[in-house]
Amino acid sequence: MKNLKILLVDDEEEFVTTLAERLELRGLQARAALNGEAALQMIEADTPQIVILDVMMPGIGGFEVLRRIKAQHPQLPVILLTGRGSEKEGVKGMQLGAFDYLMKPLNIEELIKKMQEAIKSHP
Amino acid sequence: MNKCEDKEVAFFGKITAGITHELKNVLAIIRESSGLIGDIISISPEAVVKYQEKIRNSIVRIKEQIERGVNITDRLNRFAHSTDEIIAKIDLQETIEQLITLAQRFARLKHIVLKTVPPNQGSPDVTLVTRHVQLQMALFASLECCFTVMSAGGEINIGIRKLEGKNAVHVVCKGDLPVQTEFSRDISESKNWQALQEIAGCLQGSAHLDETEHGIVLCFPDEISP
Repeated sequence: MKNLKILLVDDEEEFVTTLAERLELRGLQARAALNGEAALQMIEADTPQIVILDVMMPGIGGFEVLRRIKAQHPQLPVILLTGRGSEKEGVKGMQLGAFDYLMKPLNIEELIKKMQEAIKSHP
Repeated sequence: MNKCEDKEVAFFGKITAGITHELKNVLAIIRESSGLIGDIISISPEAVVKYQEKIRNSIVRIKEQIERGVNITDRLNRFAHSTDEIIAKIDLQETIEQLITLAQRFARLKHIVLKTVPPNQGSPDVTLVTRHVQLQMALFASLECCFTVMSAGGEINIGIRKLEGKNAVHVVCKGDLPVQTEFSRDISESKNWQALQEIAGCLQGSAHLDETEHGIVLCFPDEISP
């Protein structure tokens, strides 16, 4: 897991930059994108090993970003973040190819565990 | 009971879902910021010195998010209390400001900014005796009409103006907009416009388009007939 290249995508800048700092303290390489358009560009420029993607974002929504990632990089694992209480969003995302989903507010240890599982299943 | 009452539950659901999403984001930022402080402290006493700026920034973030959370819950609480009386005496400017806060997330998802136009200094408060929930439904429906025709980067200004001696709410769309005739056609053909007309009717008021300003004008009686 050390040096794992992670792309975090969320429009809540303070959330995503702080989460990136916490992951970096754990020896991971985390970058942040604040919208779907930026995320897709960053993936093309320097493909990460895993993407953590918020469902509800302005502009291109999380599901559309997921569709485009899977079309271009079918092996790139994506974990969805949802702020909603409903599991429907997460299940819909998994049907679209997401590895799994987590609810906000996040538990960082749970996120890391989920990323480990995703990396193992996408060697 | 008027014919708009059965739509109140759906309106409450929509607004509450949006606002609780905002609250989850507030809590997520607080959790990550406090978590970052905890991470640094757990490394070593030297790390606390090395990363003191990160700690300071995290504390500022936590304070800001607590303020944001308090503001959101205050608005949500007032929104919930708007059901206390079916017909109540309300402050129109306060209701507009309340609705703007509650609708902020919906606008942000469309890259649109919502702003209230403050009343002129010294002008008296505008109060209405009306159905408070339905008044908020009408204001929200007018925003949704604007969303129908607006592009990312736009701005909606809402304020109270005098129209033929009566108080009216002006909802003005700004930014990259269709020409006046297309603006009117696109809004008036939308489902949101039909919904707005119905709610305005339930409030014994009216909603009409203002082509010259790319806006919507809402008029309500000072006191609704029961």
